[in-house]
Amino acid sequence: MTVIDRVGGELRRGRVTVELDDIQATVLRYRPEPYYGTHVMLNVDDVRAGREFLRDVAPHVDSAAEWWRADEPWIAVAITYSGLVALGVPEESLQSFPEAFRVGMAARAEALRDYGVNDPKRWEPAFGSGIIHIGVSVFSDSTEKWRRTMDTARRHYEGRPGLTVVSAEDFGAQPGDLNPLGYRDSIGQPAIEGSGVEPLPGQGPAIRAGEFILGYPGEAGVPLPAPEPDVLGRNGTYVGLRKYQSRVGAFNRFLQANAGTDDERELLAAKLVGRWRSGAPLTLAADRDDPALGADPLRNNDFTYAADQDGRQVPLGAHMRRMNPRDTEMAVLADVNIHRIIRRSTTFGAPYDPNALSPQDDETPRGLHFIFISAKAMATMEFLQQEWINNGNFMSLGDERDPNVGLQEGGAIFTIPREPVRRRVHGIETFNVLRGGEYFFMPSLSALRWLGNLG
Amino acid sequence: MATETQAATRAEQDLTVEEQIAHLRELFADAPEVGKQAFENVFKDLTAQASQTPPPPVESAGRVGIRLGKVSELTIIVPLAPGGAERTRAFLRLLGGNLAGADDVGTVHDMRFVFLDNDTRMLFATAYDGDWDTYIDDFVTKIPDYLDIIDSAWEGWPGIRSPDAKDYLAEHQVTAEGWYVANDLTVAETRRLRRIGEAVDEFLDKVGD
Repeated sequence: MTVIDRVGGELRRGRVTVELDDIQATVLRYRPEPYYGTHVMLNVDDVRAGREFLRDVAPHVDSAAEWWRADEPWIAVAITYSGLVALGVPEESLQSFPEAFRVGMAARAEALRDYGVNDPKRWEPAFGSGIIHIGVSVFSDSTEKWRRTMDTARRHYEGRPGLTVVSAEDFGAQPGDLNPLGYRDSIGQPAIEGSGVEPLPGQGPAIRAGEFILGYPGEAGVPLPAPEPDVLGRNGTYVGLRKYQSRVGAFNRFLQANAGTDDERELLAAKLVGRWRSGAPLTLAADRDDPALGADPLRNNDFTYAADQDGRQVPLGAHMRRMNPRDTEMAVLADVNIHRIIRRSTTFGAPYDPNALSPQDDETPRGLHFIFISAKAMATMEFLQQEWINNGNFMSLGDERDPNVGLQEGGAIFTIPREPVRRRVHGIETFNVLRGGEYFFMPSLSALRWLGNLG
Repeated sequence: MATETQAATRAEQDLTVEEQIAHLRELFADAPEVGKQAFENVFKDLTAQASQTPPPPVESAGRVGIRLGKVSELTIIVPLAPGGAERTRAFLRLLGGNLAGADDVGTVHDMRFVFLDNDTRMLFATAYDGDWDTYIDDFVTKIPDYLDIIDSAWEGWPGIRSPDAKDYLAEHQVTAEGWYVANDLTVAETRRLRRIGEAVDEFLDKVGD
């Protein structure tokens, strides 16, 4: 089901000021519900094979035209810096990419606060090694369409000398579309100016398109620096991929240890994220889950923190509030609009199991590919990791970290404001452990053709 | 400027503490009498401290500057554009010399603006929380005019919205060689502790009555 079906058939249309038919579909299309798909990572050994692949697959890569009514599966293609090198992109063009993109996510570990269990030294070997060149993803709302679209994609990358598959990981197909810790996710998305659809209730005013798509003015009124030449940069964007293993046993043990009853456990789980399992926000459902609210995109994001500045409903340190503080009176001057990301995360592996409690359950292959899109994805992710995820200063929370994706030190705590005194929950662990990551450039359709026709 | 200083620091760090003290003694042999005497007076203390675990050295604050714990230093020395000193001075005097408006920033501990060399150069110094460029983009969209009112006094200032603004700042910043922070607390933590202190006093007053 697409977003338009979930809201009952119609979205309030707005002006289109970006070139939707040149921008890749993934940038604007919401993940379908339910969703099925595959991420394939390719290595280009032979420059000609790489270019031919791009040329052949380009006609099958979907654009964002009419992204709101798309119910067809789609293919997305993105390229790492080492991929651009392997494709023989001219040197002056390579040098026009931002430094953090050129050196890659692993080399930026310090700025990303990826140390300890998240250290690149502990990643799956393919990540950060420079062998991942091209990422091809298929998104679909049914098994049948997924298989059909995968066949199309595979026809182009398989059996081509000089092009090898590094990995192929299926995702989705989760009961209730829940993420590995058992929540509906990817609900809060930024509204993008000029994308053709008015903001959904609670999305806030639309953010200037240049924050998410290269070639348009951003929030500061000017376009962000873009790679050159113009045909390569314009209508492209950056994608960050971070593969997390979810330690479901540790998460369940934490809930059990800190809640006496099932109801208390679910309330604690909701406080960590700011939403109940169904997606219903605590701001609108303070005492118990409301699955109808959670499933309704016209209502499940329609709130502010104006009446909750002290965090008695949604704790100041809850994942949802950290990632989008909305109108929270923060301790530090920050512009929420320039730190938003488009999220297209996908869940893989075994479904969430509330009865999984053992350390072995922590290693059951199960987790998510956290996928984020922004015209300055590298800078934004470094900001988020430093300030809003692995820090609490902006919310006057000292060293407290994001309970969901934060890297927790020993003795970590989570504060739940309440009357008459706050509760501090001890023993929070790193529930999602980083197993790899890469930065990709997601070219426009014309840039894909340009890359395919180089040389 | 910043690069040279850091290179020098690294070379010094290759020496043992004893070697550094010996080197210092040689340098002070040529110092004026008061300096030479002062050094001999503390020589024994320095030697005794050498065997103890030294306090942690300063860290980089990112692109330029150094940080101790959570607090970083920033010093900018910059030539002034014609009329720049007059405009900035008049603006600062309108505020009574008090930049209390910066309260909202929440990461700035202090700031000073000093006119040097007959109003031809300015020294700007501040202590702030975190790393060098974390919040510069936020200033660009939230308070660009207040920054440009002051910084337009600087010769060649491209404007805070310009993609060259960060390079300009970095080029004119001089990294401090020494840095001391009494309270390793952010501005936000200090404010929080003040609120907690007031609440505790109120509670104790009630209990005590």
